[in-house]
Amino acid sequence: MKDSKQDRELPGYELQRVWDPAIRVWHWLLVITVTSGWLLGEFRSFSIMQWHMYAGYATGVLLLLRLVWGLVGPAPVRFRSLAVTPSRLFEYSGKMFRREPSGVAGHNPIGALSVILMLLLLSLQVLTGLFSEDDALFFDGPLANAVAGSTRTTITSIHGILSELILIVVILHVTAILFYLIWKRENLVKAMFTGWKVVRK
Amino acid sequence: MNKYLKHVALALIISSTSLLTVTAVHADDDDPIAKAIKARQSGFQLYSFYAGQLFAMAKGEQEYNADLASAMADNLVAVTSLSNGIMWLPGSDNEARKGDTRAKPGIWAADSNVGEKSQALKDAALAVSMVAGDGLDALRGEIGAVGDACKGCHDDFRAKDF
Repeated sequence: MKDSKQDRELPGYELQRVWDPAIRVWHWLLVITVTSGWLLGEFRSFSIMQWHMYAGYATGVLLLLRLVWGLVGPAPVRFRSLAVTPSRLFEYSGKMFRREPSGVAGHNPIGALSVILMLLLLSLQVLTGLFSEDDALFFDGPLANAVAGSTRTTITSIHGILSELILIVVILHVTAILFYLIWKRENLVKAMFTGWKVVRK
Repeated sequence: MNKYLKHVALALIISSTSLLTVTAVHADDDDPIAKAIKARQSGFQLYSFYAGQLFAMAKGEQEYNADLASAMADNLVAVTSLSNGIMWLPGSDNEARKGDTRAKPGIWAADSNVGEKSQALKDAALAVSMVAGDGLDALRGEIGAVGDACKGCHDDFRAKDF
């Protein structure tokens, strides 16, 4: 994979091992838990409701691991590298539509914003899920009884709104990856499998 | 004179306000739609209470008790068998009575399948009532269909918020 023709022939770029093994496994596990959790919630029935909750717990564990990895992990996954300044954002936006890879050894500034947004939305989704209830299926989150009934109703509707927002950011995320693949000629999916990413020399 | 006028004005304001309040409360009592909405919501409270006991046992949140399970399931059959059509007056949907009800106008649509949804709950309740006293596993095998029947109707005919 490292020696694929397209990657070798890009002048001014080199392949670097940007994504460490832990973050790659983490990313694809998150894809599984979020996709299954979303589908199990959207198409819930009494018998599958507990699996929706398991998917939520698994997502919660992954988010906690990401929190740790963001503090002590390798440079590209650190929260510090996600901190985007307006000037970097402005600079990147200016050349975003050039038909060349971003060449960043990590997330590009807009990608970093989207990562922060996704981590925030997913964290809120797991948290609100703990306090939510489904009064038709008689299912409730493990902490639902810790709050008043009216609060529970509000939190449950927020949980529902968040699921729609998460769908939107995931669609944006996939669209951005297709934009990179087709327009900018960079395969970010492969990079998330192998860890090797084209970086400007 | 000025002071006297002030007192008269105050008396008028107080009496008219209380009269309006009394009239409003009275009107609410007399309003057949308000009464019907209240009655059907009370009915759903009963569904929820009886089914809630069964779900709590099925999920292990409450100890299984064959007699109680049987009684609750029979109650659920009883309350879902009532002829409550009269509570669903035209004009008692959540657009006509915003804030009072979550019942969507679709319930009253010509092609509404609310009857089928209601029948699904009756069937599920009956199925539970036949086995509720036969042990926890038997209860667990049938109670899920009650939840799915509740959801089936809520999804189509109950708004999320008042």
